[in-house]
Amino acid sequence: MQGVVDLQSPAEAVEPEEARRRPAAPPRRFYKGKAPYVFLVPYLLLTSVFFIYPFLRAVTLAFYQTNGPRSKVFVGFENFTFLFHDARFHSALGNTVTYTLCSIFLQLPLALALAMLLNSGTSKLEVRLKGFFRLILFSPNLVGPIFVGVMFGVLLTPRYGLLNRTLHALVGWGLEQRWVDDPQLVMPALVLVSLWLYVGFNMVYFLAALQSVDKELEQAARMDGANAWQVFWHVTLPAIRHVVVFVVILSTVGSFNLFELPLALLNSTNGFGPDDSGLTVITYLNEVAYRQGDLGLGSAVGWIVAILIMVFSFVQFRVARVAENE
Amino acid sequence: MLDRFPYGKAPFVLLLIAILSSFTFALTHRSGRPAELVLAVFSAQHYAAYIEVLPKFEQEHHVKVNLQRIDNQSLEARLQSAIVTNTDVPDLTEISEGTLGFFTRGPERDIGFADLTEQVRSEGLDHRVVESRFAPWTSRGHVYALPHDVHPVMLAYRRDLVEQLGIDVSKLETWDEFVAMGQKITRDLDGDGNIDRFALELPRNGQWGLQTLLRQRGIDLFDAQGEAAFNCPLGVDTVVWYLKQTRGPQRIAYDPANAQANGQAFVQALRDGMFLFLLAPDWRTFQLQTDAPRMSGRMALMPLPAWERGGRRTSTWGMTGLTLSKTSQHPELAWELAKFLYYNPPDLGQRFLASNIITPLKEAWGLPEFQIPNEYWSGQKLGAEYARLASDVPPIFSSPVYKSGMSKLDQAVTRAGLYYEEHGEQGLREKVAEELQRAAAYLKVWSDRYAVLQQSVAANESEP
Repeated sequence: MQGVVDLQSPAEAVEPEEARRRPAAPPRRFYKGKAPYVFLVPYLLLTSVFFIYPFLRAVTLAFYQTNGPRSKVFVGFENFTFLFHDARFHSALGNTVTYTLCSIFLQLPLALALAMLLNSGTSKLEVRLKGFFRLILFSPNLVGPIFVGVMFGVLLTPRYGLLNRTLHALVGWGLEQRWVDDPQLVMPALVLVSLWLYVGFNMVYFLAALQSVDKELEQAARMDGANAWQVFWHVTLPAIRHVVVFVVILSTVGSFNLFELPLALLNSTNGFGPDDSGLTVITYLNEVAYRQGDLGLGSAVGWIVAILIMVFSFVQFRVARVAENE
Repeated sequence: MLDRFPYGKAPFVLLLIAILSSFTFALTHRSGRPAELVLAVFSAQHYAAYIEVLPKFEQEHHVKVNLQRIDNQSLEARLQSAIVTNTDVPDLTEISEGTLGFFTRGPERDIGFADLTEQVRSEGLDHRVVESRFAPWTSRGHVYALPHDVHPVMLAYRRDLVEQLGIDVSKLETWDEFVAMGQKITRDLDGDGNIDRFALELPRNGQWGLQTLLRQRGIDLFDAQGEAAFNCPLGVDTVVWYLKQTRGPQRIAYDPANAQANGQAFVQALRDGMFLFLLAPDWRTFQLQTDAPRMSGRMALMPLPAWERGGRRTSTWGMTGLTLSKTSQHPELAWELAKFLYYNPPDLGQRFLASNIITPLKEAWGLPEFQIPNEYWSGQKLGAEYARLASDVPPIFSSPVYKSGMSKLDQAVTRAGLYYEEHGEQGLREKVAEELQRAAAYLKVWSDRYAVLQQSVAANESEP
């Protein structure tokens, strides 16, 4: 027995004694007065009506084929089976994943690079310019995806669009380039437009994180002979890793919910793009649930999207945790 | 006072704003007579025309009509939501091409529109109106909307440029003759490697261009039985022809931008002479007048070239129908208003002049307004020209998956088009047939889903 006691840490050894001295926690019970519950009623009511009920309804609806709320037929897992065999859903999923990967691997590094650029200057003029460029880069976000989609629809117009005219004038190519009519160019066009739209938004997160990085640490690394890349990789990036994980997850969720931008940019094809090249899962959901009127199938799509986002986010968390431990 | 308010300054200011705005609203809101009929439309032209004549109807029938204009997509979405959730819908609503199928796809009890079949027959409208125009508004043998228009299609052209080039339009009787002419005039004029003059305006990925040409041959997306109709040999021929005119080295057609029927790029291309001919239903002639006024006197119209000599010289593009709500409190008044707006001959002449849209009511085509020369169109008598073709407009049939059909057809054309650009004509016909078949099969899957729903609901209802 003595040996067992020796194996305990000093803290563990004293804990039973301290626990004995601590007053016992009162048993959990409901507060008797009405006031807290009355104050909670509006919140509970709103949550029940606008969150819990729709949530439960979406669960059950996914197992029905519907024609509005009046006519529905229980179909079991038929909606999910239909989706697993539907080539259009596969296209939508493929396009969304492509867009998500582009967001993560193109947009976020660019946003981080811009943030580092804006974080670097220290002179008075540089500080002033920083504010100006921060506003310029963030401003596309203020107008929203519909406006941006419409605007780029005009800019990318064959023969008369600004981009095509500029390309033709500069390199003698691209006058008749059909960005949103050619299935192979639709995704690059979407990625390009979303870069312009969202890069400033993500940059602001990175900039805020960079400003909180301990400058002395970076300085110490430089004095130890680390080059710019080594400082970034071994000091700056680990210091902002929590923000990076947050932005990656935010970007993933946002990319999976992509809807308004293709709808506005690919307006002539109802947001699908030629040969469904711009079809996203949410556009597909909108199509089946509202344009086709099958809320049951729409709910099934919604669940698949939700599960995918959860899986992606979980993987990202795990990867971040492993990286942190290493 | 501010300090004594127990919840702070901000809530006090908000409360004050709420009280003041409520008072302002109550004092300035004119109660007036309550609206007894609500009419919702999506077209600005229709709105402008109806607002002029509604006071007459209101006076005659001692009723107030609340006319609302809503964007087409919003109107459709709101109407769909309202009908499926069984909430209030307007007494009368104008809906556009391909929309009816959504509302009639479920069991009959779910259809929110009044069945007008008997009224149409008893008023003799089935004979007085162009017969084919009831087809798109008919589902399972019942008429659910009144046709507003016929929208025959002619070929509009830049008369000034066509005359300059010495083209005799009277000799363009068939599409073969048109293509031969088109190949001669389609040119890169400035030598920069880009063609600057095409014969015709058509969207590359099919869309309204292909559908209009298919319809001219009597093929639409669906047949009277609701089966996909475009995957027939004639449909394949038409798509192959279409691809050759819009893509590849022999193309004669130009797509100005994003396949929009109108818009800045389209108008600029027309002014620049990027294309000389374009498909023009009656409504588009009015849009051209308003969007490209500088073209006045430089444009003219001719019938479409036929697919074979002596064949049909027109087609149809677009349509509007007027539905009456099944839950209207005043169904008789709503029916009277529908007739007043659509089939009241004394008003239809002025309506034509305000929109260039000809009525499907055949007896109105003799009105003097239809004989007035139109300066924009080089003095042609627009009404008479379109009316001459109106009876020959092909029928279009509704389907619950009509809009999906439109996008699946476009997808088939796009895929076949990519194949054509890569492989040329070899195997093109087979590829087109395969893609059309694939599109038809997809639509069948969806149609079957609706059929299963209808049957299941009917079976559940028949159970004791």
